[in-house]
Amino acid sequence: MQDASVPATITIELPAALQPLAGNAMALPATGATVAEALADLGGSHPLLLSRILTRGGQLRPHVNLFINERDVRSADGLATVVRPGDTLLVVPSVAGG
Amino acid sequence: MSLEIRLEHIKRDIPLVSPTEALARCRTGAVLIDVREAEEIALGTPEAARALGRGYLEMRIGDEVPDTGQPVLLLCAATTRSLLAAADLRQLGYRNVAVVEGGFNRWKNEGLPYILPEAADADARQRYARQIILPELGPAGQALLGKARVVLVGAGGLGSPAALYLAAAGVGTLGLIDHDRVERSNLHRQVVHRDDRVGMDKTESARLTLEALNPTVRIRRHTLRLDAGNVEAVLADYDLVVDGSDNFATRYLVSDACQRLGLPNVYGAVQGFEGQVSVFPAGGQPCYRCLFAEPPPPELAPSCSEAGVLGVVPGIIGLLQALEVIKLITGIGEPLIGRLLLFDARRSSLRQVLLHADPECRYCAPGREFPGYADDPHFCHS
Repeated sequence: MQDASVPATITIELPAALQPLAGNAMALPATGATVAEALADLGGSHPLLLSRILTRGGQLRPHVNLFINERDVRSADGLATVVRPGDTLLVVPSVAGG
Repeated sequence: MSLEIRLEHIKRDIPLVSPTEALARCRTGAVLIDVREAEEIALGTPEAARALGRGYLEMRIGDEVPDTGQPVLLLCAATTRSLLAAADLRQLGYRNVAVVEGGFNRWKNEGLPYILPEAADADARQRYARQIILPELGPAGQALLGKARVVLVGAGGLGSPAALYLAAAGVGTLGLIDHDRVERSNLHRQVVHRDDRVGMDKTESARLTLEALNPTVRIRRHTLRLDAGNVEAVLADYDLVVDGSDNFATRYLVSDACQRLGLPNVYGAVQGFEGQVSVFPAGGQPCYRCLFAEPPPPELAPSCSEAGVLGVVPGIIGLLQALEVIKLITGIGEPLIGRLLLFDARRSSLRQVLLHADPECRYCAPGREFPGYADDPHFCHS
């Protein structure tokens, strides 16, 4: 069992709309014990990218969903959800095109 | 052994029940199986019956009735084929098998309820032959498609492929909502339209194409922009909504109206090389607002008209929406409820995530009063 306090390296997968803010990478590695910590790690190198996921107050933007291994973090512990090595954090913003 | 003697033997083991008794047993959990040929079923079949022709009965009964202890009723035109089928099912281990005495002829004569599958006429028999032959669909499923009233919000990139395939599949009534006219820049993805219709109302252009494809489908045009004042009046005439709109304002409006009217909302959205599909259930959770509580602020929303999209992407997403529509109407398979499919054309990947029903959702949480339609000026319009 992974200790919740131990940082884990995970993969953050980005939608196409956010990839230009990540040097056009489809995915980036990040390290942290929780979703919030992994995002903070991401924000250290890509602050503009982080600002598209979290509000200035550090809350998840209401038009963005985060899924850890297919599960919505809102159905777990939100940004406090513990991550484990090898997890994939999928960022899914709303799109309206038709 | 002659057929007569064999039938006499079978009758010693297999109980015969009247059509009235069979109907009563159906209502308490018995499975009624119509073993007649497709051509016979096309002329009428009990509403609750599952079509399972004699030729495939042994091969398919396990999927239809996995529990060999389940009460099974067999029906043919009279009684003979049902008795033979019943003997086969007994041999397969089905313990509780009975035959409807007098078959469908008596069922009909006694005024018991039955449906006339859409495939009753020769045109439909030919047109839908390749899908009616699917045991999961059959004449009964085709009849359900024929009775269905589906409305497409947007006759654009998503609505075009969805409308084409739903019309082809025989959905009886298709409503088309769009206030726009065909532009040449639409044609790389909005394949229901044509170059010589540039400038025409999209609803009219789509009608011409769809009626040429399948003249038996009823097309209803709604050449208007949906707003809080008209959305309920338009959607209320339909059983199911396909959201293929191109802006957040309409998406939230459609979602909220579907909640209020108790209509399933088959959602699709695209941008660039990516697309999303889900089904928000009739009057249930989760809804579109559970997924995306609010639209993005304007500074973060890509311009709806400039975001760009590869034409194939709405083609794929619109067809996934059409597929979900057919599944919802016919009851085939598992609808995409509580799941979001994410398509990425560059990776050729289709992945699924599980949706969270927001217990505090203002629109779909149980026991909530309808809060009214939002009128958010920040919405992005195409």
